[in-house]
Amino acid sequence: MNKKIVCTLMVGTLLAGMLTGCGGSSEGGSSAKGSKGTELELFSTKAENKDILQKLVDKFNETHEDVTIKITAPADAGTVLKTRMAKNDMPDIVAMGGDNNYTEVESAGMLVDLSGEDYISTVQESYLQMVYDVNKDKEEKAYGVPYATNASGVIYNVDKFEEYGIEIPKTWDEFIAVIEKLQDAGEQPLLMTYKDAWTSLCPWNSMAPDLAPTTFNDDRKAGKTTFVGTHEEIVEKYLKLLDYAQDDFMGLTYDDGNKAFANGEAAMIVNGNWAINQYLNSNSDLKVNMFAFPASNDEAQNYVTSGVDVLLGVCKDSANEEMAKEFVSFMLEPENAKMYIEDQFAFSAVKGVEQENETVAGVKEDIANGKVANFPDHYYPSGFDLSALISEMCLNYTNGMDNEENMNQFLAQCDEKYDIANVD
Amino acid sequence: MKKKTSRKRPAVNRIYYIYVGILAVLFFTFHTIPFLKGVMYSFTDWRGYGDWNFVGLRNYIHMFSDADTGNAYLFTFKFAVITTILVNVISLILACALNAKIKFKNTIKAFYFLPYMLGSLIVGFIFNYIFANLIPQLGKGLGIKALSVNILGTNNAIWGIIAVSLWIGCAFNTLIYIAGLQSIDTDVYEAADLDGATGFRRFSKITFPLLAPSFTINMVLSAKGYLMVYDQIMAMTEGGPGTSTTSIAVLIYKKGFGGGQFAYQSANAVMLFIVVVLISVFQLRVLEKREEKLG
Repeated sequence: MNKKIVCTLMVGTLLAGMLTGCGGSSEGGSSAKGSKGTELELFSTKAENKDILQKLVDKFNETHEDVTIKITAPADAGTVLKTRMAKNDMPDIVAMGGDNNYTEVESAGMLVDLSGEDYISTVQESYLQMVYDVNKDKEEKAYGVPYATNASGVIYNVDKFEEYGIEIPKTWDEFIAVIEKLQDAGEQPLLMTYKDAWTSLCPWNSMAPDLAPTTFNDDRKAGKTTFVGTHEEIVEKYLKLLDYAQDDFMGLTYDDGNKAFANGEAAMIVNGNWAINQYLNSNSDLKVNMFAFPASNDEAQNYVTSGVDVLLGVCKDSANEEMAKEFVSFMLEPENAKMYIEDQFAFSAVKGVEQENETVAGVKEDIANGKVANFPDHYYPSGFDLSALISEMCLNYTNGMDNEENMNQFLAQCDEKYDIANVD
Repeated sequence: MKKKTSRKRPAVNRIYYIYVGILAVLFFTFHTIPFLKGVMYSFTDWRGYGDWNFVGLRNYIHMFSDADTGNAYLFTFKFAVITTILVNVISLILACALNAKIKFKNTIKAFYFLPYMLGSLIVGFIFNYIFANLIPQLGKGLGIKALSVNILGTNNAIWGIIAVSLWIGCAFNTLIYIAGLQSIDTDVYEAADLDGATGFRRFSKITFPLLAPSFTINMVLSAKGYLMVYDQIMAMTEGGPGTSTTSIAVLIYKKGFGGGQFAYQSANAVMLFIVVVLISVFQLRVLEKREEKLG
């Protein structure tokens, strides 16, 4: 009897192991050719833009009868893309963020240089520069064409600001005054959704460009400076903000928090334009707007954090390189670029294509004037998981750790983990 | 001489060799080869793509000075020990209760087995909702401060994960214990009755010793499973808050694929494999000796 059980168990576990083992690798080949001419694969790392990409792809497919483009947008796409890179199973076109995932793909030599294409001259230089900055050795070649850009800052509930007669704060002191005013009025001033650790990066990303030394990212990479000694003010202000967060801010998820914000449970949330879509989905009557995070008391230092949210790249070794290039050129036509940003509440990297939606009107001017700074974490090495460190700092905060001790521990950790991750 | 004896042996039906052969080939190609490749990569500096070189034992040496790995091992051991013990205690109690002559026995058994049929990811997502919404509301309603926050966002996140793992794990362990209980001869119990052994005494002197084989299987399998815990954590906390619930398997996935440390985390995986094998062998040795003594 017992022997039998043991046997069944063993066989069971073996089979289970085999099944799970096979699960991951069951994707089909990417360059499968359909019966109707060529099929190209567009790999998108952004789940939020799948619908609009599909619309644009449909439009492209209409005019190109012999070609069909298929979109792949899996969860945890950055990781999936790297795994596929490992298998040498790259798609034809990638649409990804201008972040360290891009750096990894680019530095592995997977992308075609598009510098010679006509449309490069229609792209805003500041965003092209951001792509150059994350290229390997800062090479000034357009392996990725900036397409859509985002903006991170403070998103606020317009009705609540009007109700209490609040002006948009321009400096840190004004910002704190606004927060206190809201709190005194019985409102929840700030909503934080730190159950999803990446959201804890948003205030950091907004503050670091304003307050850290301008050459910090290059110097840090070269080992000439450290987080300790340069980021104290940022951490102090970060911890100050936590004083105004709602109870249990470590337990609220991004999705639940977005619903709560949409239903007017808080006046402000520090996040980016990509979240606006979600608010309006849960409450279409909500009036929101955005302003640049005023981290400094020097107004001129308060940049809008704006990075390349989507860039387009053509993969080397694609059997259909010419067609892939044609698609990129199609996407960059002003009409199509406009269509994209209108759906996404995003900003376009294409000159002259402006976002006219009211929900982001507060940062539009700064972006048009180029008063923007890229997300600092786009420059950190990809193994450096800052969100986990910040989340740990916030956990220590909720456990009542002394702020000074917490800050010192956090910054020392930043340097230690940065050095571990900073290897080529 | 030898030839003669082997000829005399009754011929084994070839179909067995074919079955075993096919499975062996499949197992070797899809399991053993990838495993050996993983071991090989653990001696390189491969990032998951591109060129690589052999670097000898660098990865293994680095592991001992890496605080992340140390913390992940600490968390995993803590989690595995607590969960293995609790899951076996609870399953044993459940199995004894379900083996008694109670009404609706089979219906109740079905209820307890249900969690096992759901994937642990799904269970994780369901409990994510329960921990984030239902329990805090209950806690606020009752005025209990500890319950009014999402436990997964606090220092006690490990207990949230343990609770869910217990809920999933008890089903299987209970089933094994019930099977073990049913194989105990009723004569033994009758004899015990005559000798006046009842209640806890009967359990500790008769039931538990006779369950020794089931106990061995359950201890080894749950320890192995919990040392490699992954899906519940990915569904519930993704290793957070901070890195407080990062198990070794989660660390290997996150850093290996997301952080470009493929080779280094392969070394970590090899290490985890060795640790699990050692612990399993140790458990088997100790528990089988116990079985022999009892037998």
